[in-house]
Amino acid sequence: MLIRALYLSALWSAISLFATLVMGSRLRRSDSALSLLWLTGVILAGNLVAIFTFGRLLEIFGLSLLAFGFGLYWIIRLRDWNAAGQVTWTMTLITTALFIVYTFLLTAFSPLNPLSFVFALMFFFLEAITLAMALAHMHESLDVVCRLRWHRLVEKLEPVPGYLPMVSLQVPAYNEPVEVVEKTLKTLAALNYPDFEVLVVDNNTPVQATWRPLEEVCRRLGPNFHCLHLDQWPGYKSGALNFAVTQTDPRAEIIGIIDADYEVDPDFLRELVPAFADPQMAFVQTPQDYSDSTGDVFSESTYRGYKYFFEVSMPSRNERNAIIFAGTMGLIRKSVLEEIGGWDEWCITEDAEASLRILKKGYQSLYINRAFGSGMMPINFEGLKKQRFRWCFGGIQILKKHWEALMPWAHWVDPGNKLTLAQRYYYLVGGLGWFSDVFNLLFAFFLVLGAVFNLFSSPIKVRPLTDTVLIIPAVFLVLHILRFIWVLRNRLKVSADMAVATMYNFFSLGWVVTLACIQGLVQREGVFLRTPKATTSSKTWHAVQVTQWETAIGLICVLVGLLAFGSDRNWRTFSLCLLLIWQGSLYLAAPLYSLLSLKREAAMGVPVRITEQGKPMREQLAARWVVAFSMVLIGTFSLIRFLPNPAGLPDYARFLPADTSDIFQLSTAEPAAGGEDEATATPAGLTPVTPTLPATGTTATITVESANCREKPRPNAGRVVFLYRDQQVEVLGRNNDPANPWWYIKIPDSDETCWLWGMTARLSGPDAGIPVIR
Amino acid sequence: MQKPLKTEVSQLLEEAGTFAGQGQREKAYQASLRATTIAPDEPLAWYLRSQNAPSPEEQLMCLSHAYSLAPDHPETRKELHSAVHGLLKQEPFLAYVYETEQFYQVRSGRNLLINIPKNRVFETPYLKKKPGIAQPAFRWLSLALLALFLGGVGAVLFAPVAAFQALRLQASAPTDGERTRLLIVFILAVIIWLAAIPISWLLLIRFYPS
Repeated sequence: MLIRALYLSALWSAISLFATLVMGSRLRRSDSALSLLWLTGVILAGNLVAIFTFGRLLEIFGLSLLAFGFGLYWIIRLRDWNAAGQVTWTMTLITTALFIVYTFLLTAFSPLNPLSFVFALMFFFLEAITLAMALAHMHESLDVVCRLRWHRLVEKLEPVPGYLPMVSLQVPAYNEPVEVVEKTLKTLAALNYPDFEVLVVDNNTPVQATWRPLEEVCRRLGPNFHCLHLDQWPGYKSGALNFAVTQTDPRAEIIGIIDADYEVDPDFLRELVPAFADPQMAFVQTPQDYSDSTGDVFSESTYRGYKYFFEVSMPSRNERNAIIFAGTMGLIRKSVLEEIGGWDEWCITEDAEASLRILKKGYQSLYINRAFGSGMMPINFEGLKKQRFRWCFGGIQILKKHWEALMPWAHWVDPGNKLTLAQRYYYLVGGLGWFSDVFNLLFAFFLVLGAVFNLFSSPIKVRPLTDTVLIIPAVFLVLHILRFIWVLRNRLKVSADMAVATMYNFFSLGWVVTLACIQGLVQREGVFLRTPKATTSSKTWHAVQVTQWETAIGLICVLVGLLAFGSDRNWRTFSLCLLLIWQGSLYLAAPLYSLLSLKREAAMGVPVRITEQGKPMREQLAARWVVAFSMVLIGTFSLIRFLPNPAGLPDYARFLPADTSDIFQLSTAEPAAGGEDEATATPAGLTPVTPTLPATGTTATITVESANCREKPRPNAGRVVFLYRDQQVEVLGRNNDPANPWWYIKIPDSDETCWLWGMTARLSGPDAGIPVIR
Repeated sequence: MQKPLKTEVSQLLEEAGTFAGQGQREKAYQASLRATTIAPDEPLAWYLRSQNAPSPEEQLMCLSHAYSLAPDHPETRKELHSAVHGLLKQEPFLAYVYETEQFYQVRSGRNLLINIPKNRVFETPYLKKKPGIAQPAFRWLSLALLALFLGGVGAVLFAPVAAFQALRLQASAPTDGERTRLLIVFILAVIIWLAAIPISWLLLIRFYPS
C-alpha cells in the first residue's frame, strides 16, 4: 500500500505543481471554496489515473480522504496563499513524507551486510535532510508567487512631518580606486536630505597614495564629509565600522552603510528614514542593485542570481519580520547598534549576524523592495567565487555562534531571546541551506561510486535500486528544477533561457560553497576575502585554472555516467547516466561561466592590480582533503565486497516494501559470468515453462502488501499476476538456489502457474519434498 | 571624579577653575598642570588642564587621559569626541594600538596616543566566550547524534553518558537558563537513545543474519 500511496501522491504532486506553474501566479482570488474545489479536483484527477493503473478502489478512497483532510488543514493555515499554492504545498509534503518512510523501510530491512547498512543509513539521513531543504525552498517559492495578501509589504513610506533625524552614512573602503569612491561620494553629496554626514573609513589600505586622495575628495565635498584612515586595524571591515561608530556625530540617530562602489539615489534617505519614527524599528533594508549587469551571459545571470535573494527570499522573510541586514543600502538605528555591542568582528558577514542579534532583542525590521542605488558586481568568475565563499563562510559562522538561539527550546533557555518561531525557522534554514551544495557533492560522489563499481562488474549494494528509488527522486528533481525556473521567471521577469542560465550560475558555485561550509565548520578564525571589483591581468588559462576542481568533478561525473551506460545498456544504467550527466553539468557550468566572464573582464577597461586583504580561501588544500576523504570512503566502501551478505532470506526482510522483489536477486546471488544464473535459468526453447507437477502439500502465504508472480524465476521476467498479503498459494516446485529461493506456484482459481520470489512469502508444510525445477 | 581630593590638589583645581573663569588661561593652565603632576590619577585635573591647554594636541592628550581615568564622565567624552574630530580634519590617520572593553587606544598621525571611547555595550567576542556548564553534556550529545547516523550503536552508549552528565551538572548549574539547558540535553539524549535502539538493533541483526 505504501508504494501505491507514494505513486498516487507523486501523481497529485505533479498535477498540482504543473497547474501551479501554469496558473499559480495568475490566480489572484483567495477563496476557501475555490481552494477546496481545486484540492478535490487534483485528488480526483490523480485518482482517475490510479484507478486505471493499479485499481484498489478502497485504498484510493482512504488515501484521498487523508490527503483531503491534510489539504484542508493547510488551506486554513495558509489563508494568504491562492488555491494553487495551498494544494501544491500539501501534495509536496505528502509525497516527501511518504518517500522518506519508503526509503527508511528500504534502508532498514534490505538484506545487507553491516557495513552496507551503515552506508545505507548515512545515505538515508543525507536524503532526508536534502528533501527537507527542498521543501523549504518550495515553501519560499510558493510563499512569494502564490501569496495574495501581504501583511508587511511597504511599497513607499509616508513622510512623517517634522521627523528628519540626523543620519551618519559610513563608506568603508579598502584599497579602492579613488575614482570609484569619488563617484559614490558625489552621489551622496546630492542626497535630498537636510541633516546627514558622510564618514569615509579607509581601513588598512597599504599604499598611502591610494587613500590620501580620498582626504582631498572629502574636503572638496564639504564639511559634512569626513575621511578617516585606519592603520593596522584588526577586525577587517567590521572592526573599522565599529570604530567609525565612535566617530559619528553624537546627534546622529541613524547609521547607513554604503559600499564604496555604490551610486545612491538622491531620495534614499528621505524615503527610508520615516520608518524610524517607530521607536521599535531597528533597521531597514533595500535591495542591492548593480549597474554593470548587462552585456554578456555571465553578468546577466550573476545579476539575476543576486536579485533572487532580494525578490524571493527577502519578501518572504519580511512577512515574518525575519529579514537580513545586508549592509550596503540599509539603515540601522545607532542606539540599537550600540545596545547589541556593535558589529561582530569575528564574523565575516557582520551585517547579517547583527540583524539576528537585533531581532533577538525583539526589535522590528523592514524590507522595502525598491532599489535606491547600484554598485558593481565582481569582475569575473573568480571574484564571484570569492564573494560566495565569504557569504557562505559567514553564514556558517552565524550558525555556529547562534545555533542554540534558533532551536525550538531557545525561549526556555534564554528568556531574553525574543525570536519568534518563524524568525528562528528562517535563520536556521538560511544557514543550513548552504549545506545543500555539500549534499549535492556527496550525492554525486555516491552516484559515481555506484557506477564505477558496476563498471568493474562488482556491484555493491548499499541500497536496492528499486524502480521507486529511481523514479520518485527523478520526479522530485524535475519538479524542483521546474519550480526554480518558474519562480525566477515570475519574480525576476526573465526569459526561460535567462532563467536556466541563472539557475546554472547558482549551481556552478556548488564546489566553492561546499569548501566554505567545510572550512567554516572546522576553522575558528574567519577569512575575509574582498571581492575584486577592479580588473586583474587574468587570461583565458587563468579562467580555466580557477575552476580546475569543478571541471574535474564535472568531467568525472559525465564520463563515468556514459561508461556505465555504454557497458551495460538497460534503463537503470540509463537513469544513472542521466543523473550523472545532470550532476556533471552543474560543475561544468563553472569553467563555462569563468570563460564567459572574460568578456565582462575585457569590457571593464584599464587593468588595475589589487592586493587582497585577509586570509586566503584555501581551495587547493581543501580540495586535497576532499580527495583524501573520498579515497578513505572508497576504501571503506570496497570493504563491503569482502564482508559476507546475509545467507538466505533474513526474517526482517519481510518488512521491505513490495517492489524490492525486482532487485533483490542481484544483491544476494550474483549472476554467473554468462549473465544468467544457471541454477535458475530456463532452458532454451522452453519459455514459458509450465510443467505439470503433482501437488506437494506445501503452501506459501504472501507476507508483503503485494508481490509479483513472474514467468521465470528472475526479477526482470514478465509479470503474470499480482498476489496480495495473506493470500495462500499452492507450491509446485522451487529453483535450485537455497540462498535466493523462488517458488513455482499455482495461481489461485486458475490453472496457470508462475514464479514467486521466496522473500515475499512464508512457507507452511514440508519443503524437503518440493521438486527443483531446472 | 567624585572621590575626595587631596587638599593641595583640590586647592590647585579650585584655582584653575577661578583663573579660567576670569579668562586667565595661562594661570589656569599652570595650576591644572601642577595638579596633574601631583595627582596623575585625578581625572578632573586632566580635564581642567585640557580646557586650558595651549595646543590642540595637548588638549587631546589630556582629554584622553581624563577619559581613561573616568570613562563615564559625559563632558569628557563629548569634548574628546570634538577634539578627535578636529584632529582628524587635519590629519585623518589613526593607527591601532590596543583596545579595552571601554575604549580604543590609537596613535594619531602626529604620534599622539589617544583613548577613544567605544560608547557601546561590551559583548564578549565569540572566540573568548567561556563555554557554558552544559558543554560536556553537549559534547556527548553531539557524539551520540553523530553515532546515530552511523548505525546507532555508538548512540546507545553515548546518549546515556550525555543524559548522566546533564543530571550530574544540574546541581552545579548557576542559572535557571543553564538548568533548563541541561534538562533539554537530558530530554534530547533520551530521545536519541530511544531512536538509537531500533537502529542499532537493525545493525546488529545483520551480524547474525540467520
